[in-house]
Amino acid sequence: MAPKTPEFGRFAEPSLLILVSLSNGPKHGYAIMQDVEEGTGRPMGPGTLYAALARLEEQGLIEPLPPVDRRRPYRLTAVGASNLAEQLRGLSDFAQMGLRQLGESRR
Amino acid sequence: MRSLLVRCYPARWRARYGDEFEAILGERPLGPFDVADILLGALDAQLRLRGRGADIAQGRGLSMSLRVGGIAAIVGAALLASAGLLSYDLVRVDDRVQPVLLITGLGALLVALAGLSAFQARVAPRLIWTAFAMTAVGTIVAVVGSAAVTLFGDAYWALGIGGVFAALAGSALFAISTYRTAALSRGAAVLVGVGSVLPVFSGGVQPLYLTAVVCFLLGWFALGVEAIRLDRSASEMRPA
Repeated sequence: MAPKTPEFGRFAEPSLLILVSLSNGPKHGYAIMQDVEEGTGRPMGPGTLYAALARLEEQGLIEPLPPVDRRRPYRLTAVGASNLAEQLRGLSDFAQMGLRQLGESRR
Repeated sequence: MRSLLVRCYPARWRARYGDEFEAILGERPLGPFDVADILLGALDAQLRLRGRGADIAQGRGLSMSLRVGGIAAIVGAALLASAGLLSYDLVRVDDRVQPVLLITGLGALLVALAGLSAFQARVAPRLIWTAFAMTAVGTIVAVVGSAAVTLFGDAYWALGIGGVFAALAGSALFAISTYRTAALSRGAAVLVGVGSVLPVFSGGVQPLYLTAVVCFLLGWFALGVEAIRLDRSASEMRPA
């Protein structure tokens, strides 16, 4: 049932959050951190951000754009977009299964 | 400080990401949370470039997060409260138990301060750094004091106590910054504040001292539980 995703170890979740943040257009690192913090209500440190960015870039899921004032934006690649869709579908399937079972156990 | 932090990363990593990473570090004030996270990120990059990334990828404990801070807050408060209660000889234990509880508890409290201070540091970086520094210095002085008591006798007892009071002052400053920024529960921050300040004024009065221990324990415990709850999984993410 789990989607086939590259191995990110302890950066799997930050990676997913970054992919979601980039899903509506390219962003530089600071904008990604702000987006993730606003979306989840929890902090993302610069060390975690760049550890995950490096892995995502290595896997070809994101790509860097030319820097603007030392800020380098990143965007999703086609592979990254398809990988994100697959991960989100996996999460959605899991959530639906859980909700279905919860509904059954309450009957 | 920023360029020093960037220099913790391997040269090959700096050649690729160094410039943009340093630019990001200048976007907002850095607190203990960010610095701990950067140091862990640098360790990760060093290990990865040496082909050992897979080893640390197996564990999930290296990343600095609210969860790490929350767990450290609960453990640290429990250890320190236990050490505080041992002062009243409620239970007979070896003399070495109390200093060990005290020092490990202060160490955990330091991790808790780093882990729970991310949002406060954006608003009041100086206050958070002062809180962290006082707790760190207090912990070191308490370690030195405990070692001196073990080696040279009770004459150095005051040194260890001085360290504990310095760490409690750090805890009180953290409580003030948390209350001011409302980054976490203000009620829990008040309990931590009262629990950190009251021992100084208890003057050996047992009910006051016990009240302080209970407030300290409950306050840090509540902050820890709240942080762990906030650090929920991505599947529970709110739409941005």
